[in-house]
Amino acid sequence: MSVADAALSLSGVGKRYGRITALKGMDLQVPRGSIFGLVGQNGAGKTTTFAIACGYLRADRGTVSLLGEGRFNPRRHRGRVTALPQDAALGRDFTLVDQLMFLGRLQGIGRKAIRGEVERILHLVDLTSRAGTRTRTLSHGMLRRLGIGQAFLGNPELVLLDEPTNGLDPRQAHDIRAFIASQRGTRTIVVSSHNLHEIETVCDRVALMEAGKVAVSGPSAEVTGRNDEILITLGEGPLPLAAVEQALAGDTVTWDEKTRVLRIRYEARPERQGEDVIGMALRALLAADARIGEVSRGQSLERTYLELPGGKK
Amino acid sequence: MFSPTPFRDVYLTAAYDLREMMRSRRALVIVVLYLTVAAFFSYNFVRILNLTQNFTVTPPRWQREVRGPAPQTAGRVSAEPPVQRAAPGLTQGAFFARGSPFRDMLGTLVTEPATMDYLTAKPLISLYFMLVSLVSVPFLIMITASEPIAQEQQTRGVRFVMLRTGRVEYVAGKALGQGLLIALVLILSAGVCMAVADWKLVDFDFVPTARAMAAFWPRVVAYCVPFVGLAILSSMLSSSTMSARAFSLIGLLALWTVHELADYLSDTSVAGFFNAMDHLDPYYYQMRLWEPGYATVGPAMAILAGLGVLYVAIGLIFYVRRDL
Repeated sequence: MSVADAALSLSGVGKRYGRITALKGMDLQVPRGSIFGLVGQNGAGKTTTFAIACGYLRADRGTVSLLGEGRFNPRRHRGRVTALPQDAALGRDFTLVDQLMFLGRLQGIGRKAIRGEVERILHLVDLTSRAGTRTRTLSHGMLRRLGIGQAFLGNPELVLLDEPTNGLDPRQAHDIRAFIASQRGTRTIVVSSHNLHEIETVCDRVALMEAGKVAVSGPSAEVTGRNDEILITLGEGPLPLAAVEQALAGDTVTWDEKTRVLRIRYEARPERQGEDVIGMALRALLAADARIGEVSRGQSLERTYLELPGGKK
Repeated sequence: MFSPTPFRDVYLTAAYDLREMMRSRRALVIVVLYLTVAAFFSYNFVRILNLTQNFTVTPPRWQREVRGPAPQTAGRVSAEPPVQRAAPGLTQGAFFARGSPFRDMLGTLVTEPATMDYLTAKPLISLYFMLVSLVSVPFLIMITASEPIAQEQQTRGVRFVMLRTGRVEYVAGKALGQGLLIALVLILSAGVCMAVADWKLVDFDFVPTARAMAAFWPRVVAYCVPFVGLAILSSMLSSSTMSARAFSLIGLLALWTVHELADYLSDTSVAGFFNAMDHLDPYYYQMRLWEPGYATVGPAMAILAGLGVLYVAIGLIFYVRRDL
C-alpha cells in the first residue's frame, strides 16, 4: 500500500520522553475506508502514536502522512481529520450545544449549517436531552460520548478514537461499538484500545503494538487465523489423531496435550472453505467417539496477542 | 501551523474565551479584583481630597494669594474651588496652583510646560485613575491573564481545538480575548472611580471627568497590551496555571528591573546595553502616555502595541514546536 493510498501512514516514527522511548521506529499503514484497531498494553505507544498523528506531539524521527498529504496541518486537514484525545477535557462551563457549535464553527462548518449539525451529533450520541446543560454536569460516560460526538462533527475522512469506551458501562460501550461499526465504509476510523474484545468486534484490520512498534498488522481474520486455522478442544477420552490426519491429508494437524487443543492449519480454497474442514474433522472425531468440548475458527485476538513475544506479562 | 481562515479563527477563539470567562467564576473574580482595587484607591484618594479641602480652610500664604478660603462641608468636599475654578475637577486649584508644592512635585516628573498645563487642566480623579491604572494594572494582568493557554494545556482541552485551527490563531485569539476583557474591566474600574467620587464629593463634575477618563482609557489600554503579551507568553511556556502565574510575575519583575537598571546605570559602560533593552520595555514608554496630543502619545501607543505582539511572537517561537 502506498502512502497516498493510506488514510494514515507512519514510517520509522520514533519518540522519546526524556530517557523513556515511547516509539521505536513505528511503521503503520491504515487503508482508507477501514475500521482499524490499534492494540497494545498500557505504555505500548498507542496514545503517543495518536498524538503524533494529530500533530499534538512532534516525532523525533520518521515520517507521518494523513490522507496522503503529509503530517497534520490545519490548513489541509481541518475538518477532514478529527480525534477523540485521551484524557482531554472539554470546557466545563459551556452547554453541550455551545461546545459543539464552537468546535464545529472552528473546523469550518457555516453559521447556517452548524445548528442542524449539532443536533445531528447530539442525537447520534444520545445526548439530545442534555443539550442545554453545562458539560460540568455530565457523567463520565456522557462526557465520553460527547467527546466521540465532536469527533464526528461535519464529515471527517479520518477519525482517531483513543480508548473510546474507556470507563463506559457495558450498555454504553455496546452502543458506542455499534455506532462505530455503523460508520464502516463511510470513513476511516482508527480505534486505539487495550480492550481486545472491542477491537475484535468492531475492526476489520488490526495492528498489535509491542514496546513502541507494530509487532503484527493486517486484516483481523488474518491476524487471528480465522481463515486458515481451526481449533478443537477435546474432553478426556479417545484421541483419534491419526484418523483426523488421514481425513485432512495435506493440512497440518498438531495436538497440545496441555490445553487439549487440536490445531488444524489449512489453506482455504474456493471449493474447500473452513466449514468443509470443520465437517471433515468432526466426522473423523465423532466416528472415534471423541468428546468434543469446543470448536472455533482461529484463536481470539487476546490469545494471538498473548502469544506475541513479551505478550505474557 | 496556520489555518485557512486565520482572522475568523482568532475571532471565534477570542469570543469563546470571553464567553467562557463570563460563564465561569473567573470573570467574576477578575471583575471583583479590579473593581476592589479601583474602589479602594479612589476612596482613599477622595479622603486625601477631603483633607486637602480642610487644609484649604486656612490656606497658606501661597494659596491665599491665588484662591482664598474654601468652604467646609460635612464629610464631603466641594468640587467648586473657593474663589474661581481653574479647570473642571476637584480642588484642582489647591493642588496645581502656581507655586504650590504639588505643582512643584509634578514639575520634577513633568518637565515640559505644555504637558504640565495639559495635566493640570484635567480633573484630578481622571489623573488618579490613570496613575493607579498604570501602576497596578500590569500586576493584576500578570495574575489574571496568564491562565488561559496554560489551563487548557493542563486539562488537554487544547487538543480538541488544535485539530481545527492553527497554533498562531489559537494564541492570538486567547490574547485578544484577554485584552478585550482587560479593556472592558478598565471601563468598569473608571466607572467605580467616578461612582466613589460622585458619592463623596459635592458638585462632582461628572461629564468633564468622564470625558477626561475616556481620553485616558485608550492610553491605559495601549499600556496594558505588552503586559497582556507577557502574560500570554508565560501561559505558552507553562503547563499549569500556577507556573504560568509565577512566570508572568517573574517576567514583570524582570521588566521593572531592566527599566530601573537602565536609569541607575545610565552613566556607566553598560548604559548602552540597558538603554537598548529599555526600549523593549513598556515601562520606558509610561511617561510618554501623559503627554498632550497624539503626535507623541500615538507613536508610544503603537510601540506598546508592537511590544505586545513581540512578546507573544517570542512565545510562539517556542509554542509552535512544543508538545501539547
